Amino acid sequence: MRGADVGFATALASLPKVGPARLARLLDLGEPGEVFERVCTGALGDEPGLVEALGASRADLLASWRHHARAMDPEGLGRLHHDLGIRLLCAADAAYPDAFRTDPEPPRLLWVAGDIGAVRSPAVAIVGARRCTRYGHDVARRFGRELASAGVTVVSGLALGIDAAAHAGVLDVEEAGAPPVGVVGTGLDVVYPRRNAGLWHSVAQCGVLLSEAPPGASAEPWRFPARNRLIAALADIVVVVESTERGGSLYTVDEAMARDVEVRAVPGPVNAPSSAGTNRLLADGAAPALGTGELLESLGVVADVPGGAGRAEQPVYRDPDEVEVLDILTTGSVTFDELAERSGLGLERLGLVTARLQAEGVVQRSGGWYERRG
Amino acid sequence: MVVDASADDGEARLVVFTTISSATVLGVEGQPVTVEAHVSSGLPGFSIVGLPDTACREARDRVRAALLSSGCQWPQKRVTVNLAPSGVRKVGSGLDLAIALALLVADDQLGVECLDGLAAVGELGLDGTVRGVPGIVPAVDAITADELVVARDVAHLVGLVTDAKVRAVATLHEAVAALAGEDPWPPLPPRPDPDPPTRVPDLADVRGQHAARRALEIAAAGGHHLLMVGPPGAGKTMLARRLPGLLPRLDPAQSLAVTKIHSAAGLSLPSDRLSADPPFRDPHHSTTMVALIGGGAPTLRPGEVSCATHGVLFLDELGEFPPHVLDALRQPLEQGSIRISRAAASVVLPAHFLLVAAMNPCPCGEANRPGYCRCSDRERARYRRRLSGPLLDRFDLRIDVTRPDTNRLLGGEPGASTATVAARVAAARARAAGRGVRCNAELADARLEAATPLDAGATALLDTALRVGSLTARGLTRVRRLALTIADLAGTEAPLTAEHVGMALALRSEPLTRSEAA
Repeated sequence: MRGADVGFATALASLPKVGPARLARLLDLGEPGEVFERVCTGALGDEPGLVEALGASRADLLASWRHHARAMDPEGLGRLHHDLGIRLLCAADAAYPDAFRTDPEPPRLLWVAGDIGAVRSPAVAIVGARRCTRYGHDVARRFGRELASAGVTVVSGLALGIDAAAHAGVLDVEEAGAPPVGVVGTGLDVVYPRRNAGLWHSVAQCGVLLSEAPPGASAEPWRFPARNRLIAALADIVVVVESTERGGSLYTVDEAMARDVEVRAVPGPVNAPSSAGTNRLLADGAAPALGTGELLESLGVVADVPGGAGRAEQPVYRDPDEVEVLDILTTGSVTFDELAERSGLGLERLGLVTARLQAEGVVQRSGGWYERRG
Repeated sequence: MVVDASADDGEARLVVFTTISSATVLGVEGQPVTVEAHVSSGLPGFSIVGLPDTACREARDRVRAALLSSGCQWPQKRVTVNLAPSGVRKVGSGLDLAIALALLVADDQLGVECLDGLAAVGELGLDGTVRGVPGIVPAVDAITADELVVARDVAHLVGLVTDAKVRAVATLHEAVAALAGEDPWPPLPPRPDPDPPTRVPDLADVRGQHAARRALEIAAAGGHHLLMVGPPGAGKTMLARRLPGLLPRLDPAQSLAVTKIHSAAGLSLPSDRLSADPPFRDPHHSTTMVALIGGGAPTLRPGEVSCATHGVLFLDELGEFPPHVLDALRQPLEQGSIRISRAAASVVLPAHFLLVAAMNPCPCGEANRPGYCRCSDRERARYRRRLSGPLLDRFDLRIDVTRPDTNRLLGGEPGASTATVAARVAAARARAAGRGVRCNAELADARLEAATPLDAGATALLDTALRVGSLTARGLTRVRRLALTIADLAGTEAPLTAEHVGMALALRSEPLTRSEAA
């Protein structure tokens, strides 16, 4: 999309309560500039498609749009894109990703920061809970790292937790791997969540950030399920690493199934709420994601992946007590008391062993619970 | 009594003036008061001067009714009562009895000689009964007298703290009759049955919770403040209630101090002895600043922090206390006392307590367990912000308490009993006494380094912990202090080993920090 149209289209998308469906109806009415003019003058409203999309509160909405549109500066919005280094794509542009061209609900407007060439097949989406365990974090990071180094594009949502871990894994590979694709729910100039600011900019720099929301759009709850549909649309496989029984990543699963995209889930302990959703998916027939090798096989990619062990571990000498404690921790998170009872070590000795393992970074403590890392 | 018959104008003018000792309370200390009564001819009237508060001013009505009910006369003259020193505010009703006796002598209903060396503390009822008052222990402690008239029901308690001969009376009439020589002083009431020894719950009742039990032991031995973080039902309160049993019994000076504070605060006291049990105070989180810190009108009454002196102050649901109330704890935690200044007066209240606090890790209580918490980041952050960093810093021991496994609750071996652990604590405190302090928490930072040499393994462990950031420079001092107590408990001599330091690290988590997974 070029010139003045960018500003007008952005202005339309920035109107209050405009989501993908209403935006599509608006753009169907004609050239963006012309439609925007009609919104401003109020010469709008009887078109059948629009009537249906606006529903009962049509009159109020149109009045509100008119009010907001008059305060907007489409030209300024166009310049803003230039200043921020953001491009706006629509289906007419050659760079518009092919994956969306065949999609049942494609984004009519797609804002892009970074190199759109990063969006390519084969692609795997890695999604999961924001509040994840160390286990989920480590699995997501390893998958991200190994898939990227095998040349597979990793798509994720840049949320906290699993999403961030997956992309952090991709960035571990640096130059050598496929660049990351981040699909976000806010405007590309609105970093959300703030804690991911560093990752956000790295992904934009090394790969590409996509958003269906115009610059300036804040983190409204309805934008995230819509964003999940884009993640599903871009992926050949969706891997859910951790999810609670009703986690947001299950929206992505629904969208993936609607598009016949393969869904895989990472198994977790049956007593951990953080894996309840993924274990349910497995029970419902999703294939387990046990390692990168199987994902690559399913994608038909032949690549040399280190046999599932992650980074090569250097043998470290450990005294028998440390080995014992690490063995107990393989079953999940364990309290200090339980460690003491199961290892039979004295409290002082156990304090020393855990302090040493923590200092080495092999074990971490979260509240009263000890977990193994990596 | 002074009889001044001046005949300047040819008419005899009788001036009668008497004094008797009594005392009132400010903060936790008694203030000696001399009650002066002056009866002169003139229009009948009664006034009390010398900064009485409302309760004290109302003595006029109580004394009048009590005199009349006891078969005495109310002087039909001009009566002035002065409470000296007149610059100090007098509070409460404890001066009633002294006022009544002074008045009777001034009015010549009693002989003047009977007030020699006499002091009286007690409130009068309208029917002439004599009652004890809150704060009677510090009040009588401040009085020097040969004989002390008090209410019968507090006679034994008073006898524990005063050198004077205690005269116990049930009514004003008994006192008047004895002073007039009509009857002998009533005998002291029979010694009350010894109160059943206060039962401190035993540590052996706690199953599992090895780390928490060890933390209690270390807290008792080293005087380290303890913060327990854990979900509801993990047994935090149960553990805290067992801490006073581990502390050493109070010595006589501490017993007296605690009894005075509790008396001034109006708490119930054992009637037959000075309690040597370390106090345990657990104010609810709706407690106001004044009730916690002290300074309640009118006596600048001691608050919960003072009542917990030489014992344990337990704050359950620490996160629910208003932040400004918690921050007010910082001065007493640092100095062992608190200065209360009001327009009328300024007092220093003792506040030397062991602080034990318990809280949930987040509103839902599950935050500690990876993958189980349902609270949003914002909720957890808001909960964390309720504790200021400086307050959090005061806790040497910060442990996470988890719900014990039900199997262990039913089948577990009982742990060491309170008596066993208390003996270890006493031994550790004896070692600390060798350094010239009661417990290691009192050891000055400057002396800590010299007192805690580290062996090679301990140095290496601390080095790594500092390098990877699991320990901060500020935390290092605290860990050394803790490790010293751990070594004292184990009975080992310097230097500290890696195991002492490792145990200290395990008992000092960074509570309420979110697990940084991303």
